[in-house]
Amino acid sequence: MISDLTTLLFFPGGLSMLLAGMAFTWLDRKLLARLQNRLGPRWFQPLADMVKLLAKEEVVPAGVNRLLFVGLPVVALAGALTAVLYIPLWGLPPAASFPGDLVVTVYLLSLLTLCTGLAGANSGGRFSLLGATRTLTQLFAYEAPFLMALMGPALVAGSWQIALITAGINGRWLLFTQPIGFLVALIGLMGKLEMPPFDAPEAETEIVAGALTEYSGRGLALFYLGRSVEMVLGLTLVAAFYLGGLSNPVAFLLKTLGLLLFIAIVQSLMARLRIDQTVGLWWRYGALLVLLQWLVLWGGRWL
Amino acid sequence: MTLNLAQSWQDALDKVRTWARLNSPWLIHYNSGSCNGCDIEILATLTPRYDVERLGVKLQGSPRHADVLICTGPVTRQSKDRLRRIYEQMPEPKFVIAVGSCAISGGAFQGCYNVIGHIDEVIPVDVYVPGCPPRPEAIIDGVVKLLQKIGKQ
Repeated sequence: MISDLTTLLFFPGGLSMLLAGMAFTWLDRKLLARLQNRLGPRWFQPLADMVKLLAKEEVVPAGVNRLLFVGLPVVALAGALTAVLYIPLWGLPPAASFPGDLVVTVYLLSLLTLCTGLAGANSGGRFSLLGATRTLTQLFAYEAPFLMALMGPALVAGSWQIALITAGINGRWLLFTQPIGFLVALIGLMGKLEMPPFDAPEAETEIVAGALTEYSGRGLALFYLGRSVEMVLGLTLVAAFYLGGLSNPVAFLLKTLGLLLFIAIVQSLMARLRIDQTVGLWWRYGALLVLLQWLVLWGGRWL
Repeated sequence: MTLNLAQSWQDALDKVRTWARLNSPWLIHYNSGSCNGCDIEILATLTPRYDVERLGVKLQGSPRHADVLICTGPVTRQSKDRLRRIYEQMPEPKFVIAVGSCAISGGAFQGCYNVIGHIDEVIPVDVYVPGCPPRPEAIIDGVVKLLQKIGKQ
């Protein structure tokens, strides 16, 4: 009972995950700043942002469904924090595991995006609505290629259970045997996190702040925290699947940070894509290339 | 005794809140009729050369996300309602910085038929940054003065 509560509230779920999320957010912002030849934010910046937002007034606009408006950020963060339990954080075996938890995890990870879209549609403003449309369009674009890319390692290991997949990979670096899957998974993750070049849903030069335009204070803080947590989860998942499965925590952390560096470089190199270019990129190239890789994997079995 | 304990908790919480506020001022920029000189200087302040992100400053698109309204120019009759509405859309606690001579006094546009006057006549202002236009260093100094003022409150 006590150990269950510790798992949920402190490690690996709950508090430690929130802190890790903020640390990764800081690192992402700092790397981006250094790549742009700036000094960048101080190490406690995300913490100060979150505390400030939580201490601010929360404005609920007139004409929205109050329950949904207040509840959606909580559901979004809860979804991301639930997914923590099935993911091999820091190279340790996941806290919970059952057959088919890969599908459940991917579903829980997309809950945040779904909640963002619903929040935008519920807010009533025209910018929120446009942002929500773009968020959901992007969700349908990257979700299938992302899942298909994660299923490459699953095919190799012959299981849909994350614990069994990481065990089945057994230290092999699938990055070299499935480079397409790796790239699609990582770039799908960037779309999931709405990072540049896939930040059309929250493009501040076009639609103010996208789906979260009307959110202030607590709701905004919870959405940001959910996104931070999801960044850690996504990077961990890709590192575990493509960079040699479970290993000791230090080596695993280094691999995760390497992926973060790659993401930061892509962010600073690329300009924002239009929403139709984003959809085209994933469906025309991402999905088809992963499909090709599946066929190769499948064919390789019979050889 | 219990009352004292509650008071000390309250003080500690207030300290944390003030610390967070001081370290993460998010700006929103509004031009209520300026000649764009001050706006260009504000944009120059946000470029990598001055890198205000090291102070925690971020430019936000939505007034709902922002803490500090940084406005330029005199208030024209057309933009008066918009300025007030943006100010009212911001969640508490909120602060205003008026940048440039026109924002302080109406400047060159004083007495024009379509100009109401300075920012102060429409919304309360916390910090004034003089100059026509003020240099980026002066704008950063204005933000720091505002933070000092928040810290004292």
